[in-house]
Amino acid sequence: MPRRRNSTDTEQSALGRRGFLKAATLAGTGAIASAGTIARAVASPEATSSQGTKPDGAAAAAKSPRHSVQLTSRESEQGAPPHLEGPSHTTCGSDFMVDVMRNLGIDYVAAIPGNTFKGLHESIINYGMTTTPALEHISCMHEEISVAISHGYAKIAGKPMACMMHSTVGLQHGSMAIYNAWADRVPVFAIVGAQLDAAKRRSYVDWAHSVFDGPALVRDFTKFDDTPISLSHFAESANRAYKFSMTPPYGPVLLAVDQNLQEDPIGAGVSAGIVKRVQSSPARGDDAAVLEAARWLVAAQNPVIVADRAARTAQGLALMIELAETLQAAVVDMYGRMNFPWRHPLNQTRQQAEKIAAADVILGLELTDFWGVTNGRLAPGARRISITAGDLYLKANYQDFERFTPVDLAIAADAEATLPSLIEAIRKLVTPARRSVFKSRGAQLAKDHQDALGQSRADAAVGWDIQPITTARMCAEIYEQIRNEDWALCNGTVFQNYWPQQLWTATHHYQYIGDSGAYGLGYLPGATVGAALAHRKHGRLAVAIGGDGDLMFAPGALWTAAHHKIPLLYVVHNNRAYHQEVMFVQMMANKRNRGIDRAHIGNAITDPNVDFARFANGLGVYAEGPITDPKDLAPALKRAIAVVKRGEPALVDVVSQGR
Amino acid sequence: MRTLAGCAALALCLLAVAAETPSGDVANGKRLFMTYGCYECHGTMGAGGGIAGPRIAPNPLPFFGVKTKLRTASGRMPVYSETVLKDAEIADIYAYLQSIPTGKNAHDIEMLNR
Repeated sequence: MPRRRNSTDTEQSALGRRGFLKAATLAGTGAIASAGTIARAVASPEATSSQGTKPDGAAAAAKSPRHSVQLTSRESEQGAPPHLEGPSHTTCGSDFMVDVMRNLGIDYVAAIPGNTFKGLHESIINYGMTTTPALEHISCMHEEISVAISHGYAKIAGKPMACMMHSTVGLQHGSMAIYNAWADRVPVFAIVGAQLDAAKRRSYVDWAHSVFDGPALVRDFTKFDDTPISLSHFAESANRAYKFSMTPPYGPVLLAVDQNLQEDPIGAGVSAGIVKRVQSSPARGDDAAVLEAARWLVAAQNPVIVADRAARTAQGLALMIELAETLQAAVVDMYGRMNFPWRHPLNQTRQQAEKIAAADVILGLELTDFWGVTNGRLAPGARRISITAGDLYLKANYQDFERFTPVDLAIAADAEATLPSLIEAIRKLVTPARRSVFKSRGAQLAKDHQDALGQSRADAAVGWDIQPITTARMCAEIYEQIRNEDWALCNGTVFQNYWPQQLWTATHHYQYIGDSGAYGLGYLPGATVGAALAHRKHGRLAVAIGGDGDLMFAPGALWTAAHHKIPLLYVVHNNRAYHQEVMFVQMMANKRNRGIDRAHIGNAITDPNVDFARFANGLGVYAEGPITDPKDLAPALKRAIAVVKRGEPALVDVVSQGR
Repeated sequence: MRTLAGCAALALCLLAVAAETPSGDVANGKRLFMTYGCYECHGTMGAGGGIAGPRIAPNPLPFFGVKTKLRTASGRMPVYSETVLKDAEIADIYAYLQSIPTGKNAHDIEMLNR
């Protein structure tokens, strides 16, 4: 049963105000503990709480109209906000929804306010946040940030948090971020408000913000959506949504929640109960197919394991190491997740082109783009094995599934869940003679890894002292300051030339979470704040390195970090341009023989240069910069990290080379 | 005998390469390197930018190789025709690339050896 978080007096008060609902629904969440029972709540104003307290306003609520002020003109809409009269309700639908969400284990809800979910908003702040287990509200500046926070959070927490969006315009703002989560196979529990009853719409704005089928906007890139019309319907759909979001392949889900269902008192005789949370076990590979894969891998001379979003937990990372070491096989990490320790001797990512070209068996684990990995490199006779939950679920319109790859063995299953049986099958097949071959193969790979590390270091030294600062120097300086901490990098690193993977040592599954999924700009500020939020309770030092262009999409995320005291070191890789696009415009201009001296127009973020330190200061974030001399990096980072260790965000603006 | 022949061939090649390397203006080459966007992908001193562009300095490819790459580029690299970049301008850019110092050795940078 949820408990109020403050003093005894407060708790007693809460029992008075919320007594009915507790009796009605959270017998259920007793619920939470005694999974297996479906709490049955008969919601009637006469119902009594478990303490026998009669709810204050319930009877009155039944007699009073919910809204006594009706606004019908544009003039009134543009005037003062409508005053919602009538007694306070203790038996509203949105309190029930809060309990459903906490029964699902949801701890946070990120949102920018919107009147189509004001009932839920009020329930979260006055009920969810004041009773335990708490459902905390995270204040945001943009729906894209709300979703991105949920995206980043889930990759660390291993479960979704919720985000709420206003009907129509709010969901439209959040839609790109939902697509990122979809492409990145990340669970997000999204809610969009709705005003389904046309007769209840107060003004032209309400009509402009109403839609018959709101979730249709994102249906192509959500795993499930529904528009429940009763509280029982909401409870079931919420559970179904949560279950499907957490069944590999993970993905975002959306519930459109009617405004009146949130705000109205629970009517007499209405039955609404918390439904036990159900989670499906991930699909494991078929035994015969797994055995065949094991045979090919054991017999191979140069097997290569290519992993993209394969390891999502500590256990997943341990299994990846066990698989590679059992085979003494090369591992190529596509960096969708923390799939393999960056300094493990079998990590051959830097030499991936050579290793793939020499491979006779390639095992792709949750590989998004198998075609891209092997195109033009596949040796004659080489065989490809795929294990991916992506084969279990597909939608047609958006094409993030990449080119079709004619693999030789396709196992439609979750890779992490299949690894134990694959490893076991391999162990049974390995003979002493093969083990001897594996050993010498591993020794060669270890040497190759060391050679590659030496090359990375040599490359990083080039231009060590130049200005703008090289990305290698920037990343090396960051690592120098954090390497003795329990750090976690919260960004993808393609735009930093994968220097962290080349120069840093990472061994824990939480130390890297991959990129946005769909390359939708504006992901990083929110996602890193979400990841840092999940890291906070573990006391980890969350670090992000992000581009200036990306930060300009969603800078409001910094305010959220400051407001909620979310510790995060945000280093701006400030190359003062939408850099990748410069190249494309250059190509076009030269192709047309017009020269590229104007290619910066529309791409450069200069004249004026953005002063990110002052910008961040204005949002309440400690900041350093712009740092132009590499010698100034270390002291600036030290000062910023000291702030982060105090439990606050800090930003360091580094004027850097393009890549 | 074979060694002597090899040495002679190498010497001829080097002479040919030297003969094909025109002199250029370093300062103008640097200006062009920045104006024509080379730095966007290769870094302001040719250090490279990963998948965006490889390292091209210090110790650039022979002039002929650089010029050929500029004239017949593929992939992400824009093609620079004679219309947009004269041979003399390539010579200036090449002079700039040649002027870029080798820089530090990775072994001497402590934080790169963690």
